[in-house]
Amino acid sequence: MLQSELEKKMTMQPHQTAYVQRCTFARSGPTIYLGHLDLMTCFERAARRARLPILYSQGYNPRPEMVFALPLGVGIETWKDYLDVSLDSPFDEEEFIKAMNTYLPQGIRILKSKSIPEPKDSIMSIVTTASYRFEAKGIRAAMEKAFSMETLEVEKVAKGKVKTTDIRPLLISLSQASDGNPDAVDFYCGAGSEKNVRPDLILASLMKYCGMDKDTAENTRVIRTGLFSGTYPRITPIDEVKVQKKVIPQA
Amino acid sequence: MRDFALPLSKADLMRVESPARYVGGEYGAVIKEDMLDELEKEGKTSYLRFAFCFPDIYEIGMSNLALQILYHVLNESDFVACERAFSPWKDMDAILREKKIPLYSMETKTPLSKFDVLGFSLGYEMCYTNVLQMLDLSQIPLLAKERGENDPIICCGGPVTYNIEPMADFFDVVMMGEGEEMILELCEKIRDYKLSKDTDHPITREELLYNCAQIEGVYVPCFYDVSYSKETGTSVKPNREGIPETVTKRIIKDLDTVLYPTNPVVSNMRVVHDRSYLEVFRGCIRGCRFCQAGFIYRPVREKSEEVLHEQGCLLERNTGYDEMGLLSLSTSDYTQFPKLATDLLETFEGRHTSLSLPSLRLDSFSLDLMEKVQSTRKSGLTFAPEAGTQRLRDVINKNIREENIFSALELAFEGGWSTVKLYFMLGLPTETDEDVLGIADLAKRIEQLYYDVGRRTGRKMRKLEITVSTSLFIPKPFTPFQWEKQDTKEELIRKQRLLKDNLRSRNIRYAWHDFDSSVWEVVLARGDRRLSPVLLEGYRSGLFFDAWDDQFKLPTWLEILEKHGLKVEDFSREYSEEETLSWEHISVGVTKKFLLSERHKAHAETTTPSCREKCSGCGVTCFGVGECFKEKVKGGVSYAAE
Repeated sequence: MLQSELEKKMTMQPHQTAYVQRCTFARSGPTIYLGHLDLMTCFERAARRARLPILYSQGYNPRPEMVFALPLGVGIETWKDYLDVSLDSPFDEEEFIKAMNTYLPQGIRILKSKSIPEPKDSIMSIVTTASYRFEAKGIRAAMEKAFSMETLEVEKVAKGKVKTTDIRPLLISLSQASDGNPDAVDFYCGAGSEKNVRPDLILASLMKYCGMDKDTAENTRVIRTGLFSGTYPRITPIDEVKVQKKVIPQA
Repeated sequence: MRDFALPLSKADLMRVESPARYVGGEYGAVIKEDMLDELEKEGKTSYLRFAFCFPDIYEIGMSNLALQILYHVLNESDFVACERAFSPWKDMDAILREKKIPLYSMETKTPLSKFDVLGFSLGYEMCYTNVLQMLDLSQIPLLAKERGENDPIICCGGPVTYNIEPMADFFDVVMMGEGEEMILELCEKIRDYKLSKDTDHPITREELLYNCAQIEGVYVPCFYDVSYSKETGTSVKPNREGIPETVTKRIIKDLDTVLYPTNPVVSNMRVVHDRSYLEVFRGCIRGCRFCQAGFIYRPVREKSEEVLHEQGCLLERNTGYDEMGLLSLSTSDYTQFPKLATDLLETFEGRHTSLSLPSLRLDSFSLDLMEKVQSTRKSGLTFAPEAGTQRLRDVINKNIREENIFSALELAFEGGWSTVKLYFMLGLPTETDEDVLGIADLAKRIEQLYYDVGRRTGRKMRKLEITVSTSLFIPKPFTPFQWEKQDTKEELIRKQRLLKDNLRSRNIRYAWHDFDSSVWEVVLARGDRRLSPVLLEGYRSGLFFDAWDDQFKLPTWLEILEKHGLKVEDFSREYSEEETLSWEHISVGVTKKFLLSERHKAHAETTTPSCREKCSGCGVTCFGVGECFKEKVKGGVSYAAE
């Protein structure tokens, strides 16, 4: 077959109905040092090992249809993160969790999974807010100081250029750690495609404005504790967001 | 599953490139729980703790098939617990040194000095200094003679160990050849040594080494003395009774029954070759005269198609990789290749698993196959004519003829392919400027062919991309060219310029290999024990990761070499056929007589047929297996003795 014909054939496959599992997952231990792309590959391979009927994207380089709610940076632990996995047939939720957990590497676990229709809005687009927990000596005072500031300007590298950006407007609310640990804080901040702040930038602002030393900042345990949709304080955890079914136009 | 605390802080890991290299936790990694129970209860274990060390970074080591094979062979046994360790990159190296944190294993984060054995896999000479780095970071004495009863046994194996002399001062034990059986025999001896420590008659380290030297294929450098002579060469002879004059490599006789890992460790992070590997056969029927692999891996032994298909299915299922590499020195030469490839592709249908097929010879079947397996448009066609003229291809016994290249390319161009990669070598024995210009000529005629096909078919053609790559010839031990000189750096640069000036075309890209590293590679490849102190001093002055062009510093190495009374010329010169070579106490089964006759045929521009056409009497019939002993396939061809 000619290359050009092959190309045509591969891009003209009809749309297939997707049966989506919206999963809640956690990661800890060695896997926190994986970058986002590597983490995605871990999920893909686990699903392939488990022989799940995953759907693949179309075109020349088919990839498993797996969408993460928000990338996880290197060094970030998570207690509650989300991804949508598209399957070609309906699948039992409990069996899905069991299959994935048998084949995921140590440290990554699916906690919950929910069968949803193919969503109209991608899981990425509905994220507005994240909650994090920071653990480090003196973190409470430092974070309180940060929240008391008018502006928190930090340098951020985007597309090879260094840009100064004020992250203060993205910090939403701060509280003591839910378990009463004096060296830990819980907080909400902006997340998602519109207004996102990476935890490493918050730590950078603590070094710049709140007297935190580099070692403490880099040793801070960073845990993402949740992802939400809506406008603070009226926010809903991603797995509780009502899903609208995508309407596929008939060819 | 237990958690093993990393000896590093989060800040340490956040400061280095790719921290995932240093944390383990991969799917498929083996941790022996009962060994840990023993350690917890008694503070010691009856298991032999083996650290499989790869002297390069994680991403390269994890792409290494030997690591996966031996890791599983060792862990399948009931008395060995094998873990992995890699060279930390320079950023992490600095942290470990600064904080005095010993290098640790990936599985249980145990310092390497706590293991009974460190086994290094040596795939290329330029990794030697990284062996020293790993020992040093483990706080283990570098020199074999400085290690005592409480230090681990340091051993190695791999293709470059056939001339391990430059590293002889650092290794206790060297394994020659294929390791699946030998490594367990070695481990048994070391376990006996370990267990004897608690008895009234402990075995001494020296006794252990002597016991190891009794294993077929095992070389213990300290039991040999070297004499150097300008006239008669370098000879290595045993210095005591009971030590073999010649150590002959080991091979696996039946590849169908030997353990092959169908559940390898799957890295969490991207590695160099991010795919599973199916090893199809060992050895090569071709006998290209420059190619060390073509001689040291003889004889050709195939796996049966049934076994391969089963292993392929298991691998695909167990790893989750979406690509599988069919591995061998020349996959098209596998007798069942069309069936194997077709069957595997059929099995993988709907699973989005593709085959990676390096070293294919192009014909209509392989073109058809490549069309089926290609996942992206970018993949191109690869040819390795190695030399620019038929004369020089006859010299090196590269049995690829121009007609074959052109007929295959015509088919490919008609099928719409437009990317071609061509691999050549510069500095081959007898090479003249005419041969160098022949490379440019070949590339240009391929360009012309592309336009001709376009005109003939009247099709709109994509932009043609031809890449010409040249690497540099390095005379390697155990090849017919082991006596040949290496061109000087200046001469190689001149030839490369000549080629570059004649390759100007908007469709042709020229890529070349670094000159400096080739200069050093020949020193290490044909070097002897006088290089051990050189390597030690180089390492002490901060030279390691020599395999990385941006880390390699030839001028510093040359200074150190000179300080030790040696020069590059001592190893790059033409060796005399009369002198004793410093690797002659090792045998890969191929006789010196055969290598010499091949050398003479090369200079007479005569080719030698493949092992499948005719037995040329290379000597590997001594192993009693392989292609050599197959029944006659075609009329009149005899495969028996020399």
